[in-house]
This record gives sequence, C-alpha cells and structure tokens, in this order.
Amino acid sequence: MNTTDSTLRQGLSEVTERLVRDYGERAVTSRAVREQHSHGEGLADAGMPDIVVFPQTNDEVASIVGLCNAARIPVIAFGVGTSLEGHVAALYGGVCVDLSRMDRVLEVNDADLDCRVQAGVTREALNAELKGTGLFFPIDPGANATIGGMASTRASGTNAVRYGTMRENVLGLTVVTADGRIVHTGGRARKSAAGYDLTRLFVGAEGTLGIITEVQLRLYGLPEAISAAVCQFADLKDAVDTVIVAMQLGIPVARIELLDDVQMDACVRYSQLEFEAKPTLFFEFHGTEAGVREQAETIESIAAEHGGSRFQWATAQEERSKLWKARHNAYYAALALAPGKQAFATDACVPISRLTECVLETRSDIAATGLVAPIVGHVGDGNFHLVVLFDPARAGEREKAEGLAARASARAIRMGGTCTGEHGIGIHKLDALVAEHGDAIALMQAVKRALDPNDILNPGKTVPFERAQRRR
Amino acid sequence: MLDPTFASALAAIVPPPALLTAPEDTRPYECDGLTLYREQPAAVVLPDDETQVVAILKLCHAARVPIVARGAGTSLSGGSLPVAEGIVLSLAKFRRIVAIDPIARTAIVEPGVRNLAISEAAAPYGLFYAPDPSSQIACSIGGNVAENAGGVHCLKYGLTVHNVRKVRAVLVTGDIVEFGADALDAPGYDLLALITGSEGLLGVITQITVKLLPKPALAQVALAAFDDVEKAGAAVGNVIAAGIVPGGLEMMDREATRAVEQFVHAGYPLDAAAVLLVEADGTPEEVAAEMAEIRDVLTRSGATEIRVSADEAQRLLYWSGRKAAFPAVGRISPDYYCIDGTIPRAALPGVLRQIATWSREYGLPCANVFHAGDGNLHPLILFDANKPGDRERTVEFGDRILELCIEVGGTITGEHGVGVEKLSGMCTQFAPEALERFLGIKRAFDAHGLLNPGKGVPTLARCAEFGRMHVHRGELPHPELPRF
Repeated sequence: MNTTDSTLRQGLSEVTERLVRDYGERAVTSRAVREQHSHGEGLADAGMPDIVVFPQTNDEVASIVGLCNAARIPVIAFGVGTSLEGHVAALYGGVCVDLSRMDRVLEVNDADLDCRVQAGVTREALNAELKGTGLFFPIDPGANATIGGMASTRASGTNAVRYGTMRENVLGLTVVTADGRIVHTGGRARKSAAGYDLTRLFVGAEGTLGIITEVQLRLYGLPEAISAAVCQFADLKDAVDTVIVAMQLGIPVARIELLDDVQMDACVRYSQLEFEAKPTLFFEFHGTEAGVREQAETIESIAAEHGGSRFQWATAQEERSKLWKARHNAYYAALALAPGKQAFATDACVPISRLTECVLETRSDIAATGLVAPIVGHVGDGNFHLVVLFDPARAGEREKAEGLAARASARAIRMGGTCTGEHGIGIHKLDALVAEHGDAIALMQAVKRALDPNDILNPGKTVPFERAQRRR
Repeated sequence: MLDPTFASALAAIVPPPALLTAPEDTRPYECDGLTLYREQPAAVVLPDDETQVVAILKLCHAARVPIVARGAGTSLSGGSLPVAEGIVLSLAKFRRIVAIDPIARTAIVEPGVRNLAISEAAAPYGLFYAPDPSSQIACSIGGNVAENAGGVHCLKYGLTVHNVRKVRAVLVTGDIVEFGADALDAPGYDLLALITGSEGLLGVITQITVKLLPKPALAQVALAAFDDVEKAGAAVGNVIAAGIVPGGLEMMDREATRAVEQFVHAGYPLDAAAVLLVEADGTPEEVAAEMAEIRDVLTRSGATEIRVSADEAQRLLYWSGRKAAFPAVGRISPDYYCIDGTIPRAALPGVLRQIATWSREYGLPCANVFHAGDGNLHPLILFDANKPGDRERTVEFGDRILELCIEVGGTITGEHGVGVEKLSGMCTQFAPEALERFLGIKRAFDAHGLLNPGKGVPTLARCAEFGRMHVHRGELPHPELPRF
C-alpha cells in the first residue's frame, strides 16, 4: 500500500463524518460504545474502532463497506461479541459494523427444512421463532452468539458430533464483499456443483473476506425422544477410551462431553450438581423412543467395560436443562475455582484415535506447570478445551499459562490435529496456524488478496498478512 | 503439436510409453462421459508418482502449456475434455490405497482409486465410503473430489465435500499443498471446500483422505407406487417434512420404469405413473421404527402400493433397477441427454408438471430418474441425433429445465459439474459480482489460467456474448468488454 498515514487519517475523518451524517444515532463514536466493541469474551486486546455503525439492511452494509474501501479504512463486522480469540479487535482502528439490528428471521420453509435469517439473529432467538414448527437449529456453541458470527467463525458446539458444524449447516449466504457489492452464494438447493464453493469459503473466514449479512440455514425436525445421561469414571483414560469405542461403532450420539475431575469439581460446586468430582461423561441421545433406548444401552455397556458407573438419567426437560446449563457454565465455574485469577480458554482438536494420548499428555503438562486448568470438551469429535487460570499479579504466571496453551496447540498439530476445533484463529492463534498450515498459508493470502485487495476487511486476523500501515 | 524442446523435456520426465503423442494413442482421451464434445490433446502423460507430477507441472507452467487432469474419464459435463494445444495428465497409475485407519475411520487413497474399491477395501473393518455416484464401479476418487460427486447415499451422508478430510494437491507452480486436516476441523480459510468441486481448475490432486462410515447393521427399501407423478413428488416433500432422513430417496417415472423392467426385471409395477424407492438403514430397531413412519407418510401421500424388501436379495433387486436406469434408457432410445439440476424439494411437483408439458410440446419423451430426496433432478431427454432438428430441440428443452431450476431457487448442476456443458448456464445462475469472485480465486491459484482452461467458470466476456449479463437500471456492467 502506498497511501500515507496522513491521507488515511484524513480519509478516516471524512468517512466518520459521512457515517454520522447518514446514520444519525446509528453511528456512534462514544468511547464506551467503542470500547465495548473492541473485544469479545476472550482476553482483551488493544484495538478500539473509531466509530460503530448499526446498519439495518444489506444495502446499508454495502454502502458502508464501499465508503471504507474507497478510503482504505478497516471494517470489522461485529455480532454480539462472544468470540474468544480476539476476532473483533480493531487492531488498526476503523469502522465497526454492528449487525445486531439485522435481527429478522426472513423465511422459514418447514417443508424443505431450511430458513433464511439476517446475520444479527441469535441462535436462541431463532429457536424461539421456530417454536411450534417442530423444527430446530441444533448448533450450540454455548454462548448465545449471532448466526452471522457463528458462520464467520465456523462455530460448532456440543452436538457437532451428530449435526456437524456451521460448515455442514450453512446452505447459502448473502455477503458484502470488500468493494461494497452484494454477492449471493449457494441457495436453497441441497447440493450444487456450480462454481467454486464460495459459501464454505466465507464460512469461517472471520469477516476477512466479506461481511455476512444473511444466512440460509439447514433445520432439523425436533427428535421424538431426547434423554441425557451422566456416567462417572475413576480414571480419565477410561472415560476417553469409552468415547473412542462409541465413535468407532458409529453410534449417533447427539452430544458427548468430557469433564475432567477438576472441571467436574468446579461444576458441582458452581451449579450445585449431585455428582462426584471425578472424570465424567455427559451424553445426550436424540431419536425415536426405540432408537434412543438402544443407543443408550450400547453406550452404557461400553462404559461399564471401561469401569464407568451406572448411567444417571435426566429425561425431563428441566433436568436436562440443568445438566447442560452446568456444562455451558463450565467456563464460569472454572473461574470460580480461583476468585481473583484470570482465565482464558483454548481449544484443540485431534483425530479421535489420538484423543486419549493427547488428553493425557495435556493433563501431565498441566500438572507440571502447577497451574489450574480444567479440561472439558466435545470429545466425540476429538475436540477439547482447556480453561487456563492464572494470576496476572504474579510474575511469570501469564507467560506460563500462555506456554501451556501454545504447547497444547503444538501437541494437537503434532498428533495430526489442529490448533482450533471451533474457536477460530482470530489473532491469538496466528502463530499456530503457520505451524500447522505452512504450505497453505501463501494460498490463503492469495485468496485474501483476490477478494480484499486493499486489506480493509478485519485486517490482521485469520491469515497472517502484512498490512503496510503501522498498527496503532 | 508440441514444441520440440518442450516435448523432449517432457519425455525426460515421463518417457514413453508413459508419454503418448501419436494421434492413434491419444484418441482414447479425446472425450469423457459427455461425448458431445471431442478434442484431441497434443500429448497424454501418465506419471507414476507425485515427483513426476510436480516436474510436469513446473515444465508446463514455465512453457505456458495447458494441463487437463484426468481420472477415469466418466465426467458427464466434459470436465476432462482435452485442450488441443495442451496435455492430458492422467492419474490412472495412482491406484494405491495407502492406508486404512479403522479407529479414526479414514482411508488415505491415491486419486486413481475407483470409488467402489474404497468401500471394498474398507469392508473387512465394517466400514464404507458413503458417496456413491452411479458410475462408482468405474469413476475415480480424484475425479469425485474434483467434481464434488454425489450419489444415492448423499441425502443422508452428504456429498463428497462432507466426506473428505484432507486433500494433497500440486499447484500449477509445482508447489505441493495439503488442504484440510486429519482432525474434524482445519483452521483458516476452508480451502478444502474450495478445491473440492473445483473441476481441476485449481490444482492436481495427488492424495486424498476420505472419511469412512460404519456399515449400517440393516438396510431395507420401500418401493412405493403412485398413479400420479405430482403425488409422488409431493410424497418426497412429505417424507422429509416428517423429519425422516432416509438412506436414499429416489424417484423414477413410468418412462424410466418401463425401460428398466425390460432390462433388469426388478419387479417394478408397470402401471404406476411413478415409483419411489425409500431406504431406511441403521440398527434393526431403528429401521423398523423408521420404516413404519415411512409407510405411514407414503400411504397418506396417496401411494397405491407399498412393498418393503423382505431380505437383502430383494433390496438389491429393487435398487438394481435404479442403478441400471441410465443404460436401460440407452437401450430404448438412440440417444439421450441427461440433465442435472437441483431444486428445493417443495418445488418438485410443479417442476415435474412443467417438464411433462414441455415434453409433449417438444415431442421428445423424457424419463425422470433422480435423487428426489435432495431435489436433484436427472431428466433424460430421449432423442435421435440422426433426426434433423432433434438435437437442437433437445438442448433447448434441457436449457429450459435448467432455467426453471434457477427460477425456483435451485441450481444448474447438482452433482455433474459445469465443465464445458454448462458455462452458459453459469451466466444465468450467477450475477457478475459472484463470477468476478470465482475468477479472482482462479487467478489466485493459477494466474496464467493453465489448469483445465475453458471449464467451470465462464469469463465475463463469454457471459456478455451469451447475452445473459444482468443489467441493472440500465447500467451495463463491464462496458469495457467486447460484445457482439
């Protein structure tokens, strides 16, 4: 880029003025709002946008991006700010496009099991809207994220083992590209062999290739029967081995969650559960009455062979909700283990055949550091998380925590896995991406250049890319 | 003709007989499954290994010679049609199944391995590879990935893109890149999805890691007869709307069942206007429960007869008709043209009605055999290429069907790809904004356009000539482009 800093600054103030003029109270420059839009739920990174705009239509988003592109000003898309890897930080300032006011469910085609929503619809709002249709949208990353944000980070969640991730569940998109134009990808057809798969390219691109404004989603019929069960083990290895055997047999479990004894201890205290602080598996089964019973019996016998306890059932809706709420609150429960400490979550994903090895090695690594770092994860897809607690006031502890997370990434990659199963790259995992995908990075950069030649879309994220401007 | 310096450099990498240049030797490569188009390449190379592929691509890249990668040559859209001044790079010798990991449920295979051979190799572990294009006994997995192939099982188990974990490819520059990961998800841009279905335009695939699935303990198929095609179409929507995801949901109309019965005697009711095949798979309990539901929905949808396969032999018999449908139709008509469009399922009855109307108008019989559960139509238009005007009318009829698919929210190709066949259709389906992204991606991978040129994505100039460029408020996009 050959534009100088001063012309960029001038461009920025012109764009800001123009946005304030065009969008009135929907263009906000107050420090509080900018600060709120500078981070997700992960560690805070310096990076406030200069202005936050709340568009309501595709055309508005297109015109904002068009303005920014002409002036070479960064544009960062923002949903509700639940991302964990610093995706929304405005590293180079610029315009934050908050899509939360694009919150309409545009259509529900119950016969075709699909729907179209604006990007700012949250997954809970969508499921509330679907009530009465007999359908639901299963992807559940825990947080009540927006569908646009979930698509952008290729979110998965506790039931990806059965329903897949956003990759499998987005049928089409409306995207505003870097030049401020509106592109429609995919559609309502269940399969298409026409053209490159732009839909999946934008899914998971973390807002660096375009801003997703509408999403066509797959929906599922609510299962006839749902039941959840808890099984406890004396030994972490046995719990993980149970999962591996279940997966090998291809039992279509809807969710399998592993909590190690530390995490279970935290959850028992935080959510007042009546379980022991032992390595534990949470299961959920979806299907017909007969199917659910059969799946559960098979898994219970596998667990028993590995020394697991009898299943404790949660069939009523309230009991199940309590259980999953406890799982979703695992992060907060972990925080409560050590009041005053800070924490960050990191995730790793390995081929299921290496899962036991990876979990156990990670466990010994945690022990060696002396840190508290509960393990919890959607182990059915080989994906698990560490919540690393550290005391920022103690010298060297953050570094130690970061070292642990970096080794977890490296270990996963060494075992043929990946440094992120679902949280994405953002900025925190750029180094790990290079380690994992060295040879593909140049291509990713070439794709980025092809679709965003001026590097205005969420610059500095996802794919390491040298921005000529100095970071502020 | 190849430039002599280039030819000798090529011979140094792949000496004859792995290098074919004589017209009688390159003739078998002049077309693929879409025989309407033929072109003889300047040379055909059959490398033994990836090192040779790298060297060939480097050489071609430096000399700016186009390369068309080829698997088994079963493409139905001309995906492996040669380029006259270019070479065909055949992956026929890449036939190794490198490894099967029954715990991770994956297989690492070379691109020339036949689709069915993967399931055969996985069978001892109780596993199989789900996507099953009708040509599965012949088509190669490399071509399946390049075309994002589908098949009967895709309704429940997904397309090729859902069943591939990792792809290793050589770029036009000779660089080797791995897309995807052994784990569930790979970070960064989803280049794996990008290369899947890219029709050989982005790289030459040299190794693939596919997902394997446990073979269901039991599978049963219901054969349901309907006295009306639209009712059968509506029944498809009803099955899906009931929340049932069958292992396969296929439809055949009378034109198709009659052709099939003469050929394989699958026992289809010949008086029915349409037949649905609905498969349930899983554990015996699951199959029993699902089959009861399927029966119920089919009955409510007006099925005149429902037969459920009593055993595996009968199940295979019922399917034999569907699998043999294309050759069976080939026997009753001198020529047929297979259309491949996909629509939202709810639009099935209306679209089928329109196809029937057009069939009468054009005086061209049309047999419908298709992946109904996915909404993936395969109308087979029967014609006689020797009859003057038949071929032109067939193409026009086919184009109208595809335009109708786009109109109802569908796509011009569900699984056969664009190739050379549907370039014009791309101009109708995609706005210039989207086509420009496609072209940008192509440039990012292959700046000189050497890999499989003239396929997959039309140039904007072609769309302009074709006259399908979308003009918004009288503003002609890309006025700089030459037009007729």
